[in-house]
Amino acid sequence: MSIAGSAMFKVLAGVCLFSLIWPVTAEMTQISDDAMSDVSGQGGIYLSGDISINELGGPVENSYFGRCDDVTKKCGARLAFRLKETGGWMVLDELRGSFAFEGLTLGTRTIDSGFGGDGVLFNGDVLELGLPNIVRFDDVRFKIAASSTPRPTDTGFQQTDIFTVEMQGDVIMEGNLLVFPAGNP
Amino acid sequence: MKIDKGRSYTLAIHSGIFLLGAVSATSADMRSLDDSELASVSGQSGITLEMELGVTADKVSYYDDGKGIHLEGFRVGSASDPSGQARHVVKVDIGSDASLNLDYLVEDRRIEFSDIRLAGAPGLSMGGVFLDHSLQGYLNIKPGGAVGGSGYTFDTAYTMTGGRLGYRTNGNEVFLDGITMDVEALGITLDVVGGTLKLDAPRVVGTWQVEAIRYSGNPLNHGVSNDVGSGALLPSYGGLSGHYELASSTDIRAGGREGEGLRFDSQTTIHSASFLYHDDGNVLALRNITGNMNVQDLRLDVAPDWQNRPALALTLGSMAGQFDIGAIEMGAESKSIGEVNVSFLFEEHAYNGRNYTNAVYLQGGGHGDAGMQGLRLAAEWSLRRADIAYTEDGNRVIFSGLQSWGRGDITVNVTREEVRGGTQYFDGLRIGFEDVKAGYRINGLKIGSDDAQLQGGTELLLALGFYPAYEFELDGQITLGAGGASGEGITVNSDVRISNGKAAIIADAYDKGAGEVSQKGLWISELEYDAHARDMTIDATDEGLDMVTGESWGTMDVGNLRVGDKSAGSSFGRFVLQNYEVGSSMTIVPGGAGDVCAGGAGGTQIVCEASGGIWETRGEEGITVRLKNVLARAAGNKKNAFTWETNRQLDGNGNPVNGTGTRVLLNDIYTSDGGDFDGDGIDDNTFGIRTDLAVDVYQTKVIKKQNGPDSLGVLGVKGDEKIMDPNVAHGYRYVGNPTQGDLTNRPLGFAVKAQSQFKELSVNNIDLVHPTGGAQTAVYGVMMQNFDIRANLTATPIP
Repeated sequence: MSIAGSAMFKVLAGVCLFSLIWPVTAEMTQISDDAMSDVSGQGGIYLSGDISINELGGPVENSYFGRCDDVTKKCGARLAFRLKETGGWMVLDELRGSFAFEGLTLGTRTIDSGFGGDGVLFNGDVLELGLPNIVRFDDVRFKIAASSTPRPTDTGFQQTDIFTVEMQGDVIMEGNLLVFPAGNP
Repeated sequence: MKIDKGRSYTLAIHSGIFLLGAVSATSADMRSLDDSELASVSGQSGITLEMELGVTADKVSYYDDGKGIHLEGFRVGSASDPSGQARHVVKVDIGSDASLNLDYLVEDRRIEFSDIRLAGAPGLSMGGVFLDHSLQGYLNIKPGGAVGGSGYTFDTAYTMTGGRLGYRTNGNEVFLDGITMDVEALGITLDVVGGTLKLDAPRVVGTWQVEAIRYSGNPLNHGVSNDVGSGALLPSYGGLSGHYELASSTDIRAGGREGEGLRFDSQTTIHSASFLYHDDGNVLALRNITGNMNVQDLRLDVAPDWQNRPALALTLGSMAGQFDIGAIEMGAESKSIGEVNVSFLFEEHAYNGRNYTNAVYLQGGGHGDAGMQGLRLAAEWSLRRADIAYTEDGNRVIFSGLQSWGRGDITVNVTREEVRGGTQYFDGLRIGFEDVKAGYRINGLKIGSDDAQLQGGTELLLALGFYPAYEFELDGQITLGAGGASGEGITVNSDVRISNGKAAIIADAYDKGAGEVSQKGLWISELEYDAHARDMTIDATDEGLDMVTGESWGTMDVGNLRVGDKSAGSSFGRFVLQNYEVGSSMTIVPGGAGDVCAGGAGGTQIVCEASGGIWETRGEEGITVRLKNVLARAAGNKKNAFTWETNRQLDGNGNPVNGTGTRVLLNDIYTSDGGDFDGDGIDDNTFGIRTDLAVDVYQTKVIKKQNGPDSLGVLGVKGDEKIMDPNVAHGYRYVGNPTQGDLTNRPLGFAVKAQSQFKELSVNNIDLVHPTGGAQTAVYGVMMQNFDIRANLTATPIP
């Protein structure tokens, strides 16, 4: 594998691993002061920044997609999937916007007490994501739709827009997200 | 020394130091001078000796404790004519201070061995070596060394032109072509003190250039720049050049690690040096190099390795030193990515309960199928400690406490594209790995200075493709071929397999000051990984360094993703990542993000700050990486896919058995340009996933997230900003309302400006696989289109 491929693979691997772990094993808990005193930090990193999606448009320019200053074209991103082999496609369309956060931390912790006695029983290490206090959404929008084809440029393309979501403002996310490797591997 | 004259003769030398002199003196042609030549010989101006020198010897042997190494097919003669002689002109003069002055001219000389063999390993050869050169210079020898009258002092300077230095195995060659060199070394002293030969060189200055590093796969070629058949110039890896000014002191004693042999101790100081790689007029340059190195107890023996194989053994007591590279420049504008400082200590140490030393056992043979000629290095190493500092625009980050250890065989062959003995070989210099068990780990980061507090954050290396800690068993090969995407450059073909790997995604320190402990972190364990690359070209370009891969594929099978200990930590299950890419590339460009509006929008400071952003001037240095990953559609066993498996059955030892659990499979992941625009019936796939990463070391804003003391006991209030201050405990404090002065002391971290875009990224199907029920498709296709994601991220290590 190329060096480039190797680097990209690791990034993709990390993203995929986390995205799959979260919905299955994540447990949100409000840690008490008592429990916090039993948690020992083990280094890590502190992340801040801003991320934007299709702020000026995407890389595709055709009869459907274009730059955002072209009002005749869609400049957002599009995600389509289908749950039946011969069925239609659910679509997340015209996705764009930006959000900023400050102080997302990533590390591991040892938990061997607290949690109403469960900590003693667990007596192991967990992944810890320290949530940023505020996530600022700026003009984040997308559209939920149903489509006959995955590409809007395919022959016979038809699409029914169901609803549109727009988000603006701050979301307060305090505390830590602890991921326990507690299942049967 | 023993010389047996006959049809074939042997030189048996018990100290290799006098090898060349002995052979030359024995075989130089003497001829009478005619009257006119005699007339030119003046008693007051010395004697001029002209020699046409041609020497051949079937074998030159060196014995150590009865074990021999044989240099076979030894020849000194003309470089351009295999049967010719080399012209030597030496003017000898005795000075009034009893010094001996030699002015010499050597033209078109080749010195070569066709084979280097070890007694006890019949048939196997390390391969052949040849050196071509013409020399012009002088040597002045005065009585009296550095410590008294019994030694000698040497002054010398010479110019080498037309040089070639080559290595040949099984009819294939790699050689440095067109070497020119100017060297001046004044005041070199040679003394014998007790049983030690002391050689001191207070100042050696030189410049050098290698016109091209060439490869030949034609057995009829030997030490020529052009193919003897076609007349075409042989392909080139590129050229090299540099300069140096150094001082060294070397002690040589008798006695090897066991019995006979040689011992070397040396100290070398590099006052200044440079190293440049040239590729079709583009340059990758390491400039302003300084440093020093101290070698202690380096022994040379003819002795068997740990598998009792005959070998020439180089065993090291310790080697410590440091190097500073003031600038790493590339691209048409010679921009620098920054400065690198490395300090290191190689010495015996225990890792994971096992002792490692530093030793190399040179043996003949190379890879088993490549032929009888090749080099096998049975190697063991122990890098007990290294610190690597990276500084750009005055901001410094130190990767502290790097350790590395390992043992295994490394083979070296020059090969040509063919299948031999069932093994696929490629054109170029093949470096093979056989049963190499190795590892490395980094203790943590230090920011600013060497005595700063150790922090976490080595995970930041993941962005550059390095794990913070990695243990593995390695087999495979990397072949470095000559020629890049066009003209000069390097072409890589590789097949690598890693077994029983344990790599950290997040890693704690292995030593926090109270001795070594088991590293905690997030680990990909029980890793089985095979990776293949074909026709990956590496070129220095006017942009920077360009790597383009023809085809790459592999499978990363992570037996367990563990949190905590790398072997005993709890597991999230098994993860398998398959990749298959065609036409992917990576370009490294000097310079980081430049001026950035972080957290806002705008091209000027005023507009940026008005939008709520922070205007950051990240400077000229830094590094930008441009990646293009073209994910190909599945073809046979090659594809892009991701599998997560849990609930595996256990074997008799309590270990989960792969393939017995429940799996979710993202199958056949691929990129596309969104249609068949060239009309070949297949969707075009050239855009891929394009990612630009501009990385700088820069100050970052770090906010305290909770009231009270942090993990090191430093007090602060939620919302306070972290400000570095060397005058307080732990080197930082929290400030509610930082002044402008405080803001200049924000903590350093990595600032990344990123843009990632793709036209289409699809997943053919997502299946749920039951161990007995088989696969059921849950999602019949996912297609993502027209994504352009931009980010400004800062990553700061935390204690």
